[in-house]
Amino acid sequence: MAAASIFVLLVVIYPLWQVLFRSFLDAGVLSLKSYQKVFSYPSYYRALLNSVWISCATAALCMVLGTLLAFLVVRTDLPGKTSLRTLLVLPYALPSFFAAIAWIQLLGPQGYLARLLLQVFGSAAVPWNIYSAGGIVFVLTVHYFILVFITVAGALERMDASLEEAARASGAGTYRIMREITLPLVLPAIVAGGLLAFIGALANFGIPALLGMRARFFVLTTSVYYALAIPDFGLATALSSMLVLVALISMALQFGIQKGESRYTVISGKAVHPAELKLGAIRYPLFLFTVVFVLFISIIPVLSMVLTALMKYWGAPLTTANLTLQNFTYVLKLETAQRAVSNSLFLGAVAATAAMFVGTLISYLHVKAKLKGSRVLDFLATIPYAVPHTVIAIAMILAWAKPPVSLYGTLWIILAAYLAVYLPFAVRTTNSTLQQVHDSLEEAARASGAKILPRLRDIVLPLARPGMIAGWILVFMPAIRELTVSILLYAHHTETIGVVVYNLQDAGYREIAAALATLVMALLIAGNMVIRKLTGGVAGF
Amino acid sequence: MNKCPHKLSLTLLAVCGMLALTSAAVLAQAKSPSSVLLYTSVPQQLATQFADAFMKKRPDIKVEIYRAGSTEVGAKIAAEREVGGIRADLLWLADAPIYYDLRKRGELLAYISPESKAIPADLKDPKGFFTAGRLINMIIAVNTEVTPLKDAPKSWKEFPEHGKKAVMGNPLYSGSNFVTVAAFVQKDGWGWFERARATGVAIVRGNSEAATALAGKEFGVAMTLDYIIAGLIRKGAPLVIVWPSEGAISVPSPVAIIRGTKNPNGSKAFVDYVLSKEGQEFLVKQEVIPVRDDVKPPPGQPSAKQIKFLPIPYEWAADNAPAIREKFEKLMLQ
Repeated sequence: MAAASIFVLLVVIYPLWQVLFRSFLDAGVLSLKSYQKVFSYPSYYRALLNSVWISCATAALCMVLGTLLAFLVVRTDLPGKTSLRTLLVLPYALPSFFAAIAWIQLLGPQGYLARLLLQVFGSAAVPWNIYSAGGIVFVLTVHYFILVFITVAGALERMDASLEEAARASGAGTYRIMREITLPLVLPAIVAGGLLAFIGALANFGIPALLGMRARFFVLTTSVYYALAIPDFGLATALSSMLVLVALISMALQFGIQKGESRYTVISGKAVHPAELKLGAIRYPLFLFTVVFVLFISIIPVLSMVLTALMKYWGAPLTTANLTLQNFTYVLKLETAQRAVSNSLFLGAVAATAAMFVGTLISYLHVKAKLKGSRVLDFLATIPYAVPHTVIAIAMILAWAKPPVSLYGTLWIILAAYLAVYLPFAVRTTNSTLQQVHDSLEEAARASGAKILPRLRDIVLPLARPGMIAGWILVFMPAIRELTVSILLYAHHTETIGVVVYNLQDAGYREIAAALATLVMALLIAGNMVIRKLTGGVAGF
Repeated sequence: MNKCPHKLSLTLLAVCGMLALTSAAVLAQAKSPSSVLLYTSVPQQLATQFADAFMKKRPDIKVEIYRAGSTEVGAKIAAEREVGGIRADLLWLADAPIYYDLRKRGELLAYISPESKAIPADLKDPKGFFTAGRLINMIIAVNTEVTPLKDAPKSWKEFPEHGKKAVMGNPLYSGSNFVTVAAFVQKDGWGWFERARATGVAIVRGNSEAATALAGKEFGVAMTLDYIIAGLIRKGAPLVIVWPSEGAISVPSPVAIIRGTKNPNGSKAFVDYVLSKEGQEFLVKQEVIPVRDDVKPPPGQPSAKQIKFLPIPYEWAADNAPAIREKFEKLMLQ
């Protein structure tokens, strides 16, 4: 408990306090001036409302989509479901501004689809507009549904089949079993995933920045960036505090929903895998639907990025004469790119491992040991998820650039920032995982004289492992391509992949940036295959 | 957790260990006293190659580069100021107003380089707090596959007539767009922007996004920076640079030394090299328009003397920055 508290204090509370404190400062004096600004300028409170409804819509769509797909892939006899699963997770490795660019290339006014329509119907005007609030919700949903998918898939895998079997034996139909047994059992996972999607959409900057500007549609994160550009430090921190407030309210709501949590626990641990649901006549239609969906959300954006990486310049006509491999050879020779790949792999692996370790500890204290104050710890550890990454980076500078502890300019300050950014992922996923392991198993072990460490090692961890591995990947993948935090914290020799991609893209070398992003994705796919091989298919996607 | 019985965790542990060792080796190369730290928004490749050329000449000085967009550099500086001062020795950004702000705060070191004699007076601060190191110009770029050259705007005045086919960067994000807005407003008031709003000129984040959207045929004409367009033209994009009849907006990208530098001599040597004939000739090879009269511009590009410039009211822009940004936001972004 003490160790976990110190960790949360150092990487979350102290840095964020540095920011919050400054939102009440005006030229060195305590004041509420910045907050007055937020509420007296229509553009700022409109941004607040926009943020809230965009995130609500995204979370709702993510929950429906993620749960449906998780169910199809985990619990049914859908053909080729293992590969489908890998493909679904794939686009999550794309930096979010690349995802937005890929969708602009596909659905934009001059996108591939518009060009196709021009050839078929002779009219280039597409009936939708990607540069709109709807476009933002769409791209955010495609980007974040995976959070619901992964948490729900993990929950469905751990679910005890006996309840369903009992219901079936008592004559309940499939639909009724799903509605009255399966759905309530995985509800904590759905809500946890939905909350991650909600706050993720709330704190996302890349997608609304690229898609919202032309529609003159602004959200809190884009407003924070403006405030930094002015530069109005007080306003930026005040707006960020508003963002955290929205996230806190939504988290409080989730805590409220899950009050009666023991309702959802399932005695697991028997090696009974839930029965595979036979889809029967709708097996192939559903397969077709899933394949089309995967094609649309995973393959096409990735292909569009690969295509860009093969182009001489972005926007070049699609002819073989304009295809080239020189972007790849350029990246492979680039010294900063090589260094960035090794830095990012190091940061990603350490951040994922440490965050999962602390996250499991915090969740265990809260969910299982039910220690006093552990709920607060759990809550505090989730806050940074709602803070825009730019603000987290600034918080780290304010907290850890001063002597006696000056980490500034080293990899460690980036690591500290990553831990703050990704700890919430770890806490939320392990939380829902541990909730499903019923207390009675541990109580039995305790009654037989097992101490806490053996109990953890022999009972809790083996049961929670699939969920923990899923959580590890949820941290590792975005950490590998993280941009917003790294760009403010990197120094000579501590470049990350996101920084290099951004700097290439920013100078107009979009095709070279795409080549680097493609190589990283290939690396992740290869790594995933190795992990699957090593663990016999238990881990990885 | 610490005894997770799995091959996976062992593999991961081994990988982490290896990476930790390599990274520790990297970190061990601590900053030596003879190094200078440069914060810049000059494109990465250009900045790196330029620093390499300098270090070849002065092997005793090591240049370390932090490269990011102007806004990120600004945010980093603001945060560093809160915790004991700016860490950079040198700045080389495209965001001119930030230099006026730094000068006002007394955070710049005055240094009149012997090389600055060859640089026109309007490209340097009289007391030597900063001196233009390269010229980047806000121009009109045309994608001839969308808007034929004969229909393209010849002047800033004609630009808003292209309405939804025209695009410009957001001054709330980009420093060079901000000085452009300031120059327009100082000259003619807000009328140009009112027309642009009425015809539906699109606003995107910054100049590189405007340029890539133009190359991607989403627009026919763009207000953006010459060197980005020159780079796209070199790769074969069907773009043309139009020098507006009223004059381009020339954004001098100044070099300056931070007052708190631990290595003033190394920093001065770098500034000298940027302004030297050799340094400027190096930049010209990368399509950059030189600041010196005695260095020829890149082929096909005008020299600093030939370009007609619209005067930029820097002092006024720096003093009225919040009001200008606010007015722009109300007029164009709501």
